[in-house]
Amino acid sequence: MTVYEQFARFREAATEVLHGLYHGMIEHPAFERIENEAMDSEDAFFFACFADAFGIPSPVSYYTAELLPYLAEDFEAWERRMWDRESVLDWKGDYHF
Amino acid sequence: MSKFTFFGGKGGVGKTTVSAAFGVRSANAGDETLLVSTDPAHSTSDVFGQSFGDTPTQVTGYDGLSAMEIDPDAEVEAHLQGIRKQMAEQVSQVVVNEIDRQIEMAHNTPGAYEAALFDRLIHVMREESAPFDRVVFDTAPTGGTLRLLSLPEFLGDWVDRLVEKRQQSLDRYEMAAIGDTEPRVDAETDPIIARLRERKERFAFAGRTLREDAVFYLVCNPDELSVAETRRAVEHLRSHDLAVAGLVVNKLTPEPDPEEDGTGARYLRERCAREHERVEEVETTFSVPVVARIAARSGEITADVLDEVATELPVRPPSA
Repeated sequence: MTVYEQFARFREAATEVLHGLYHGMIEHPAFERIENEAMDSEDAFFFACFADAFGIPSPVSYYTAELLPYLAEDFEAWERRMWDRESVLDWKGDYHF
Repeated sequence: MSKFTFFGGKGGVGKTTVSAAFGVRSANAGDETLLVSTDPAHSTSDVFGQSFGDTPTQVTGYDGLSAMEIDPDAEVEAHLQGIRKQMAEQVSQVVVNEIDRQIEMAHNTPGAYEAALFDRLIHVMREESAPFDRVVFDTAPTGGTLRLLSLPEFLGDWVDRLVEKRQQSLDRYEMAAIGDTEPRVDAETDPIIARLRERKERFAFAGRTLREDAVFYLVCNPDELSVAETRRAVEHLRSHDLAVAGLVVNKLTPEPDPEEDGTGARYLRERCAREHERVEEVETTFSVPVVARIAARSGEITADVLDEVATELPVRPPSA
């Protein structure tokens, strides 16, 4: 193996490590925050649509019930999350191993 | 000429009689007329001695007059079934069972009834009214009606905010997905936003039609409670940009002949004097004109009485 090849391999490894570091420290947390905010506003949207699921009378739930066929799966997760905030699994996948 | 005429007022003041008579009058004037009852305690059938259902039916004995009675409970049920059916097509049975409770709940909220009625009202104004020159609505007692008529504005705003929220969250998802995976849905193709926009458009149509192509009459009786409630109703309607075209004072006590002087006559005379005061109060303090005064009828409302009442009501000549 020539010294050039060793250098090239080293550079490659270094690039990967640096990119990983950049992604881990800067990129990923930023995306995650945006994603979290997206989820929060989605929660707010759900709440505005289906406040009556929590006993708050909502004049629009008759109309928003029409949206349920499209939202069914998300709705179920949302409702579970709202009732039981402790559940780790429903924590929007916001954990790092 | 406005195509839609609404009659409102407190319960028991005789809205059904007045609106039925107005329908008869309008039909006699040559307008193809549809009489729609939205009062859950339907009495249009009783007035004409003929049963009406959910679709416009020709009234026997009256040319150019059709009637229908809207049943809000049936509307709510149909809405419920519609969603369930769509749900079954879109998602798995397990999810359906979970969500079903929510759907059921949404249809049992106090507002559901009004929402269903409102939906149907829009449908009547938009589609079923096409073959008619004039549509007369006999609406439920004041409170409900007023809420009903103020719904478009209120719901329009609400839908706006929902769309905004949804848009916001979709935008964020899109931002978070840069360079990586595709976002799940985007605002252009999102069926939720499309659905909400469609709703909004319907409410806007209702609001526009109520403001531009409808007249409102309030029916009241010459007694204090009725007058007070009517005053509130006029203000409420005005605050929603809906102008009341006139008041119909119904059930005025007939004056006894001057030579009579029995207990009954004295009672009637006293009562008449009080009612005169009330009517005068209405005429001087309301900004809305009294367009008709209708004497009380003893006995049941029959076709003859209806014709008689009809002649006392204002109807402009048929559209040219």
